Amino acid sequence: MEITAKTSTDVTVVSISGTVDSGTAAALAASLRAHAENVGSRLVADLAGVDYMSSAGLRALLETVKEARQRGGDLRLASVQANVLRVLDLSGFTKILKVFPDVAAATASFAA
Amino acid sequence: MSGVTTPETLEAIQLFVVDGCRRAGADDAMAFDLRLAVDEASTNVAAHGYGGGEPGPIGVVLESDGARIRVTITDRGVPFRPERVDPPDLGADAEHRSLGGLGWHLIRQVTDAIEYHSGNDSGNRLVLERRLRT
Repeated sequence: MEITAKTSTDVTVVSISGTVDSGTAAALAASLRAHAENVGSRLVADLAGVDYMSSAGLRALLETVKEARQRGGDLRLASVQANVLRVLDLSGFTKILKVFPDVAAATASFAA
Repeated sequence: MSGVTTPETLEAIQLFVVDGCRRAGADDAMAFDLRLAVDEASTNVAAHGYGGGEPGPIGVVLESDGARIRVTITDRGVPFRPERVDPPDLGADAEHRSLGGLGWHLIRQVTDAIEYHSGNDSGNRLVLERRLRT
């Protein structure tokens, strides 16, 4: 798994690629937490490169969205691959997290 | 395949299942589902069966008869009672969603049949079955 983050105009886009499982989720959670702890943190997780996610990854996303919302921000998802979207759906996460077709749409949603 | 429940083995198990599914004629979505189910189960063995401490033995066998794929996971850890796992509250909002229970929920969602046996001598055996699309 690889993670890169880029902040511009109040929104931080965290691009994740590879496999998010019990072996890598802790690193993802730590990285997302570091961004979510900013006041008013507005985060977009770009999942275009994520080909696999287990419940360990879902827990990292849930922790992050809780933290971000407590600080007046949010975590929104972009470019989720079909198989990963199915995991989110089966877990009820598509009701909790806002999912956008691409990073531009997810970023723009914060301005709306 | 067999090994002990290190992160490397858990990763190797995922690849083993995807490879086995493809050989058995499963499409990508089905291979993904079985990878997920077996990964969740083997992660549970490492975290709960062996208490997240010293890794313990785990074995994974994948078989197919052309109509279904059957994956058997064996371990010698503390027996697990899948029926006692509370289902997660899928309707709860983010603030009230708990972090646990998702692994077993996903296993149930993506498999067609689950069998679990445990015994003092034989260890634990979890069988996950998925029908192949014809």
